[in-house]
Amino acid sequence: MIFLFIALPLVVAGILPLIGKISPRLLPDILANAVFAALLAIALFAGPSLIGQGAGLQPFMFLGEPLGIHLALDGFSLFMLAAISLVGLCIGLFSVDYMEHYGHKAAYYALLLIMFAGMNGLVLVTDFFQIYLFLEVAAIASYALVAYGLGHEELEASFKYLMLSAVSSAFIVISVTLLFGLTGSLDFGAVSQALRGLNQPLASGVCAALFIMGFGLKAALIPFHAWLPDAHPSAPAPISAALSGLLIKVSGIYALTRIFLKVFGLTPALSNILMILGAVSMVVAAFLALGQKDIKRMLAYSSISQVGYIVLGIGLGTPLGILGGLFHLLNHALAKSLLFLNSGSIQMAAGTRNLEEMNGLSKKMPVTAATTLVGSLSIAGVPPLNGFWSKLIIVVALVQAKRFGFALAAILASVLTLWYYLIIQRRAFFNKPDEKWRDVREAPFLMTTATVVLALLCIVIGIFFTATISTWIEPARDALAGGLQVIQSSIGIQ
Amino acid sequence: MMALQIGLLCGLVVFSLLAVLLRDILKAAISLAVASLLLGILFFRLDAPYAGAFEISVVAGLITVLFVVTIALTKAEGGVHESRAAAWIFPLFFVVFLVIDFLVMRRLIGQVASLPAPAEAGTFGQVLWKGRTFDLIAQVGVIFAGVFAVLALFRKRSKHE
Amino acid sequence: MSNVWLLYMGFAAVLLFAGLYCLLTMRNLIKLFIGVEVIGKAVTLGIIATGATKNSILTAQALAVTFIVVEVCVVATALAIIINVYRHTKSLDIRKLTQLKG
Repeated sequence: MIFLFIALPLVVAGILPLIGKISPRLLPDILANAVFAALLAIALFAGPSLIGQGAGLQPFMFLGEPLGIHLALDGFSLFMLAAISLVGLCIGLFSVDYMEHYGHKAAYYALLLIMFAGMNGLVLVTDFFQIYLFLEVAAIASYALVAYGLGHEELEASFKYLMLSAVSSAFIVISVTLLFGLTGSLDFGAVSQALRGLNQPLASGVCAALFIMGFGLKAALIPFHAWLPDAHPSAPAPISAALSGLLIKVSGIYALTRIFLKVFGLTPALSNILMILGAVSMVVAAFLALGQKDIKRMLAYSSISQVGYIVLGIGLGTPLGILGGLFHLLNHALAKSLLFLNSGSIQMAAGTRNLEEMNGLSKKMPVTAATTLVGSLSIAGVPPLNGFWSKLIIVVALVQAKRFGFALAAILASVLTLWYYLIIQRRAFFNKPDEKWRDVREAPFLMTTATVVLALLCIVIGIFFTATISTWIEPARDALAGGLQVIQSSIGIQ
Repeated sequence: MMALQIGLLCGLVVFSLLAVLLRDILKAAISLAVASLLLGILFFRLDAPYAGAFEISVVAGLITVLFVVTIALTKAEGGVHESRAAAWIFPLFFVVFLVIDFLVMRRLIGQVASLPAPAEAGTFGQVLWKGRTFDLIAQVGVIFAGVFAVLALFRKRSKHE
Repeated sequence: MSNVWLLYMGFAAVLLFAGLYCLLTMRNLIKLFIGVEVIGKAVTLGIIATGATKNSILTAQALAVTFIVVEVCVVATALAIIINVYRHTKSLDIRKLTQLKG
């Protein structure tokens, strides 16, 4: 059942080009969205019971012989799978109309599905080298998707992204090699045990540093962020949503969290490094976002800033901090995908991404304006939307841990966030309608459906935040915190 | 025995440096292929025949062909002028790095404890197909991604553009 | 065998340094990608040397072969992007790629 998360998108991606020959538009649309819907259904309805049975490791048999496939499903992976499939379905629906003028839809959906297969695989594996492999599956598909428009800007962004991403992959695989040499194993559990037995602070420090550089580049934390503000805005809108909403979180934050909390153990030094990286990203990127005129570039800088929040919460390492970080991960995935999709609607209808050129679009595009308002307020952390609760939890966790400086930085960044989202609202929507927008019409039905679903989720999760936390976030936190206690009790907190 | 391997390693480094520093891009690509060839021979010496064969046939062969095709397709008018400074200051940085590298490695001699790997049974094929089955599935994903990426990047432009 | 492992890792570090230097200073797009390839050599050398000195050469070979397959796919994608860039700018100079300001 779990294997479907990897196999189904890959198989469908493989047959899509053949189907594309028969029906270039309709069938690829239906098939791709059906895959996302099926995966979402499995994650939501079958997933919790699979964990409940204690199916930690899923062995596979083929012709009566056991295969070397080990997939682990715990609360954290299931939470990520559900978030990936949910946002994936919305992106798929949005692409139906939006990707119409890019042409060659079958290849587009094939790449999109491969990227999602890569992300799903990354979330499920228990082996260091496979983390690298699935990272690369998602990354190669995303290079092509960023360059999908084949314009000058897209190609330039894609090339820069590819170069930095290749370097980060190299750092990751070098670190994996060193770990393999040190411990003689690649499995998470075995490596974790071996590292504790070896007690080699220098060697494991080098590995941790290489992992921070590698995954920091993938997650675009501030010293390593140069590629993101180019790559995310240049991609087609649904891809921007997938990259900003999911890919940086899965290939950056998920991998960092899984490796540092479950394998290395979060030592105080490591925790401080992660928190400083998070806080710097959060504040600096918020200032950088203020100066942007292009709506998608502003959203891209905002992504770096919000990723900073998540890393800050998870890096703190207390159960409440991890809870807040994971909850913010979900909220940011929903709201940022929503905003990037809306930026695509605006670009399609008005033909511009420049905030100074759009004036008073709210009369012409009421649904887009309303959903953008919801998304902006959610990320800016205005109650009762979901973003408010996750930011509140992170700040409370910081105060509880007596990290007042970081708490202050988090509050400052959230004020800045509110400020630049108000700039978007005022410039793009609230003014008097411009004469030149006479012929602008609201986005097509499926595109608005996707954004309305995301906006409703932002509101519903905000109102029923306790229910969301207890059903989805707490199992995820417990999966991480369980390992955390084991590791802390065995090495002792230095 | 060890002398031959160190000779191969030095040759590998020299040809890699040539690949980085040579002005003519075609010569650089060929230096890279020679470096791969030496690396492949080293793998045979290290008792890794499958990896050696892959390194020679795929990296020294296929990737070099891809590079040469790209160079032929992008014969730029005038070419690109690399900065002279980059080539001039390289020896300085390189020597500094070599010294640091040497000192660090000497410092580490005898310091790094490591666990022995569990003994491996069977042949390469058994390890690859049974032990690392999931890698093969991931490889399928990577190959799909590469193929579709190339297809998408070389597709015919739509009427819209 | 740990010391032999260190020797190989020292050589891999030299290759890594050469590749990173290439990425930081060169201007030709293809040359930049040759830098990435040199880093790739450092990685393959590291994997096989680890396997050979730690008595797990079979697993290491499986990893190296997989890594080489990944490398080919990345190279194909990168060269396709480079050819497309060349079609737009008629040049391979990284300095012509300045529309976006990082």
